[in-house]
Amino acid sequence: MRVLIVEDEPRLAENLATALRDGPGFAVDWAEDGLAGDEFAANPCYDLIILDLMLPRLDGLGLLKRLRARRDATPVLILTAKDGADSIIQLLNAGADDYLAKPFDLGELIARAKALIRRGKGAAHPTLNTLGMEVNTLEQTVRRNGTFVDLSPTEYRILEYLIHRPRVIVSKRELLEHLYDYNWEHHSNVIEVHVSNLRKKLDAALPEADPIIETMRGRGYRLAPSFPANAEPDTEAPDDPPTESPR
Amino acid sequence: MKFQIQPRSIAFRLIVAVLAIELLSSVLVVVLSYGYERHIHFHAFDVMLHGRADSILGAVQDANDPGDNVMLDQADLHVPPEDIYQVWDENGRLLGRSGNWKDAPDWKTDGGAPPSHPWGDYSVVSTNGHHYRMLRIQGSRTIDPGEKGGGKVRKVTVVYGSQTGHVWHIIHSAVEFYAGGSLALLLITGPLIAWLLHRGLLPLRQLAALASQVSVDSWQFAPPASARTTPELAPLTHAIESVLQRLERSFIQQKTFVSDAAHELKTAVAVQKSSLQLLNMKRRTPQEYQAGLERCLADSLRLESLVADMLTLARAETASSHPEKPPTADLNDCIYHVITQLETIAALRNVNIAFSDPIPDKAILNLAMPADDCRLLVSNLLLNALQHSPPGSTVEIRVTREPGLNPPLADLAIQDHGDGIPAEALPHVFDRFYRGDPSRTRNTGGTGLGLAICKAIVQQAQGGIQIASQPDPAQPAQGTTVTVRLPLAP
Repeated sequence: MRVLIVEDEPRLAENLATALRDGPGFAVDWAEDGLAGDEFAANPCYDLIILDLMLPRLDGLGLLKRLRARRDATPVLILTAKDGADSIIQLLNAGADDYLAKPFDLGELIARAKALIRRGKGAAHPTLNTLGMEVNTLEQTVRRNGTFVDLSPTEYRILEYLIHRPRVIVSKRELLEHLYDYNWEHHSNVIEVHVSNLRKKLDAALPEADPIIETMRGRGYRLAPSFPANAEPDTEAPDDPPTESPR
Repeated sequence: MKFQIQPRSIAFRLIVAVLAIELLSSVLVVVLSYGYERHIHFHAFDVMLHGRADSILGAVQDANDPGDNVMLDQADLHVPPEDIYQVWDENGRLLGRSGNWKDAPDWKTDGGAPPSHPWGDYSVVSTNGHHYRMLRIQGSRTIDPGEKGGGKVRKVTVVYGSQTGHVWHIIHSAVEFYAGGSLALLLITGPLIAWLLHRGLLPLRQLAALASQVSVDSWQFAPPASARTTPELAPLTHAIESVLQRLERSFIQQKTFVSDAAHELKTAVAVQKSSLQLLNMKRRTPQEYQAGLERCLADSLRLESLVADMLTLARAETASSHPEKPPTADLNDCIYHVITQLETIAALRNVNIAFSDPIPDKAILNLAMPADDCRLLVSNLLLNALQHSPPGSTVEIRVTREPGLNPPLADLAIQDHGDGIPAEALPHVFDRFYRGDPSRTRNTGGTGLGLAICKAIVQQAQGGIQIASQPDPAQPAQGTTVTVRLPLAP
């Protein structure tokens, strides 16, 4: 997942970026003023925008309005130092999805960021159950048919992105853009290796099934149903609420 | 116990003043009418008196005696019975008197001199409990005018008096009528004036009611058009309006400052908190902990300087009074002091400081401001210039004196040769926390308050501050010049 931070205080942006990279393993970009943020956000690669309200050149509210005016549905989390319900109501009405008052708790920020990304992709629960897989986004663990699959952080992030878009062909570029920050092109050679490893590990957990990740030559990757038996009923659309994970 | 005279309302004072004037004029009317009535009625009375005295004179006849005397024939005399009269001849012999003449003085012997007044001599006599107005006339009667030689002339003195009681009664009634009328008018006009004043002051009360509705949340003050056009209310309305406008502006400014300050402080605290939480997110190596702690320390130093700057600004903006003696600061001394302090930073950035001091006589550059403020001002401006100077360039400090003006002024100009400030940002650089040009604050580690502090200090010293910049890529050496004009101490 890739997050854009628009914040003019470099130290705060630095801390946020480090926390989001180290914690949930998001790719993070940083814009230090409103206009730069607007330019960055024009690229549809972001799964979440964390927006400070008081910014030079273009303030947070202005950026948010521009974003929503061009029908950009990217979830937006506002960081605000302003008190008062009026300002919060105004923000939410302008299209913000959530807000955090400064000084915020870093753990809460990460949890809200994850929840917003999840919601933005149509999932309500942090545990995703689909195609016989159980992906716990909090612990970042994957089970297939109850078997624990040990994934590297990059492999996990590829799977998490694909699982939010089942049966859709995800291009290599899209995958790269959502997993890495602005220098994603440096990673273009290794992505195939990561996908290949991921497929091997997932298939090893259920050897008799078809490969769960299809490679569409020249077009990208697709997370496909591997169970012919429950191909129809079990392929949940991402919009459906996921079933409760057995605990 | 402390007694205090309650100030009376304007309406009360006006009513009292009007009633007092009315009362005074009533008294005047009464006095004048008394004089007038008295004059008119006594004039008529005197005419009547004269007529009756003449008729008495007419009743003096030849006595037909050998002494050629005269006599008073009272048989055909028709005068009011209450009147009194007495007639003498020239020898002082009493010719006759009215029947009710009793204790009246013997008039003939009193008035020695003949009367000069054509109407004779008037006087007032009180007798029998009545007041009489007396007239003395002298006439002559010719005895035997048909005789040879024209007959004899006998001089006769008549004193005639009539009661004045009814005249006085008429005069008193007239005066009483005038007095009563005036009093009634007074009683009617008092409440009428009160009512009219109450009505007349209605616009004032409306204005007050409107003004009292103004509050921090609603600055709306829409006076009725009448308040603006009424000559008495227009200045008040205008004053209220302009006061409200100024108040609102400064209130909004204050609100913005508080909101900006809250944002800055909360952001600074957010940096600290997130730094510590980040450090605590997982187990780190001692080196990582150390680096993290150093970052936290740097963050808290920034927070410290932010708080210090905010307090400095607050101090510079509040008017401090120096009642005992006006403060003075030697500008040249301050500049040398600040240059010594900032030499290290200048050397670090490889920037020269050039201070041309054309006035050797230090005494004439005594500024009318505290020395601490002067140093802070110069220090902020010089530091700002140093931070925006490319390496190898020079920051120039120039001091000039304007002695011709009253009060005499000193100009301080500090010029750097940096990239300059964009024209659209120029009007805002003195705003607190202005971040239109982020390179001028965040990236140089400033708090965004330095120039706001300078402006506050200069305004406190009744001076002026200007900034000029030419961000012309063709002439990058132009840079930015800040000019401060400060009044010299007398």
